Amino acid sequence: MDDIQRKYVIPGDVITTGPYRAEENVHLFGDKIIATAVGVSEVFDSGVRVIPLTGRYLPRIDDFVIGIVKSHTSLSWELDINSCYAGILPASDVFGRDFDPKVDQLTSRLKTGDLVAARIANSDRSRDPLITVSDRDLGKIEEGELIKLSPSKVPRLIGKRGSMIQTIENATKAIITIGQNGYVVVSSEDPDGLLKALDAIKMVEEQAHVPNLTEKIQEMLGSNSE
Amino acid sequence: MTSAIIDDLKKKKITALLKDGQRVDGRALDEPRQLTIDTGVIPKAEGSARVRLGDTEVVCGIKIQPDKPFPDLGDRGIFICTAEIMPLADPTVETGPPNEEVIELARVVDRGIRESGMIDLTQLVLQKNKSVVGIFVDNSVTDYDGNLFDACSYASVASIMSCKIPKWEIKDDVPTKVDGQVIDTPITTLPVSVTMARIGDQIIVDPNADEWNCMDARITITTNSAGNICAIQKGGNDGFTQEQLVKCGQISIATGAKIREIIKKVGGS
Amino acid sequence: MGVRKTDIVLLDDKGIRCDGRKIDQPRRIMIKAGVLKNANGSAYIEFGENKILAGVFGPRDVHPKHLANTDRGIMRCRYHMQPYSVSERKNPAPSRREIEISKVIKEALEPAVMLENFPRTVVDVFIEVLQADGGSRCAALDAAAVALADAGIPMRDMVSACAAGKVADTIVLDINNEEDQEGQADMPVALMPNLGKITLIQLDGVLTPQEYEKCIDTAVSGCKLVYEVQKNALRDKFFGDGAQ
Repeated sequence: MDDIQRKYVIPGDVITTGPYRAEENVHLFGDKIIATAVGVSEVFDSGVRVIPLTGRYLPRIDDFVIGIVKSHTSLSWELDINSCYAGILPASDVFGRDFDPKVDQLTSRLKTGDLVAARIANSDRSRDPLITVSDRDLGKIEEGELIKLSPSKVPRLIGKRGSMIQTIENATKAIITIGQNGYVVVSSEDPDGLLKALDAIKMVEEQAHVPNLTEKIQEMLGSNSE
Repeated sequence: MTSAIIDDLKKKKITALLKDGQRVDGRALDEPRQLTIDTGVIPKAEGSARVRLGDTEVVCGIKIQPDKPFPDLGDRGIFICTAEIMPLADPTVETGPPNEEVIELARVVDRGIRESGMIDLTQLVLQKNKSVVGIFVDNSVTDYDGNLFDACSYASVASIMSCKIPKWEIKDDVPTKVDGQVIDTPITTLPVSVTMARIGDQIIVDPNADEWNCMDARITITTNSAGNICAIQKGGNDGFTQEQLVKCGQISIATGAKIREIIKKVGGS
Repeated sequence: MGVRKTDIVLLDDKGIRCDGRKIDQPRRIMIKAGVLKNANGSAYIEFGENKILAGVFGPRDVHPKHLANTDRGIMRCRYHMQPYSVSERKNPAPSRREIEISKVIKEALEPAVMLENFPRTVVDVFIEVLQADGGSRCAALDAAAVALADAGIPMRDMVSACAAGKVADTIVLDINNEEDQEGQADMPVALMPNLGKITLIQLDGVLTPQEYEKCIDTAVSGCKLVYEVQKNALRDKFFGDGAQ
């Protein structure tokens, strides 16, 4: 089992043969389980999967995401959520159930270019993923700067139990909102803090695979403080 | 046409029959459809042929005229072979500039004949580096039922074999046609193209339109009179194993020889 | 496809080719993954004197929408040569040769990419040949496959390409520009190395049936060598110092 865990793989690599289930990012060819993505292999509950180190966001129900409004029809908005498909936000989600397309103008609430904090409400391959903003803390993002990361870097940016993100927020007094889809919004009243936070996030993205990254970030942020 | 939608029942029938080594129209796996060739069908052209391969029909015409040689190739004549699919050949054909399928078709047919060295172009020089004979072979697909590669190739070869090259003399530094005289077409070999499709594990020769629409991959192999391979083109969005490629090579030589006999009968008129 | 002259010595009596290589020796190959900021995936290759850049976008929405396939994603591929890539300036407009090569490359990559996972999307592969030498379509394919993996697009296997050919009556691996012009046959081949499927094969030139089999064997061995370079390119980018 050890030789399957934490093995670096690229597409086509045979991870193992044997009585395992093929899970995400692998496929079965005869009795061989073969990686289909660049990433790290893992065995979980007698299934083999690969955690990808690159690629666009794959929507999962309840994921918190940040989207950019691309366009709209009379019934919904289309958002760029860094996925293969646009996220669809139905007008009724924002206007309520008695939404009337003849009366309620979509652009009065959200227009092209707006940033939105949302959750994935539904996702199946036959349709574009549905998103919702009907909780508190969701909806239009009024201020902040957007950075786009690879979704595979999000866990590293959050850190174990939030340790990495807290380190950055504490040192820079910035508020960082992380979408599972790799879109991140950073806001701060202090322009220097904002710049430091952006630098730190960029460093996490570039050095995600480097050990002791949290200490390195702390050093970088500490050495710049007043 | 490869994007035409084939109904699922037909596709299932084709693949089920193939598992038993059978085809819907009763042909053997390595058996091409009936091939009929008529030459001299366009008298105004210097050479021509109409080919029917099953229900696929191609009309080929050859125009021969003096031309400037290609730079660096002043010691040989010009040979250019094209192919186009006429909109009346199939409901899905659109008018307009050639798409990638048609471009591939033309280039594969051209290469099969060119690489075999069928026409000895060194015999077609009027004035070295200045004036040579240009042989332009143009194929028009008029009815589509799969395997345009072979149909166009056979039409081109038959046209070349039966064409009459006018005689030009150089008078005042300019080529002038000598009426009533022709020269022999300098032919060195007879290339025969054989297109095979892979459906599942079976290799079939000369796929018709239905088989073309369910195939996993295809390969066109051209052989010359000596039984050697002179051009190959794989197509389709899947692949072949090495063993399958070797088998395709063998089939192309054997089936090619049989078709060569049919084409030979046509030569000259 | 070129004149068959015999002015230059393509193979001397010690078995050395016109550029100093042995019969089964490929040219120098270098691949770097992830070289462009905006493309979802990218790669740069130097294969002999070929210098080629590949960029991939997708899977993404298809425009115009009527091109979309409801059951599976589609792939579009553009192989394009820069005007300065060859000795005589090439017109920037796509030539029929480039269009055919684009199609052949697309059909070599499609079997590897799991397009059925992404209905109604497109994967766009853009290949720019900055400098061309013999075997540019194989080099282009090698870069494109790395770019697809770099983009995180699920693939059943890598695709590795290399050409073999006949020069001075001998089957040789990876023919260069002179050998392409003056030699007797040129056979580019692409292989999915773990699944053992050949997804591109073309031939110009005359081969006996025995030479045909040997040529395929030789090209396949070249593909496997290229595969190692592709693997290292991806490992260098993603696994960094922690690579096994």
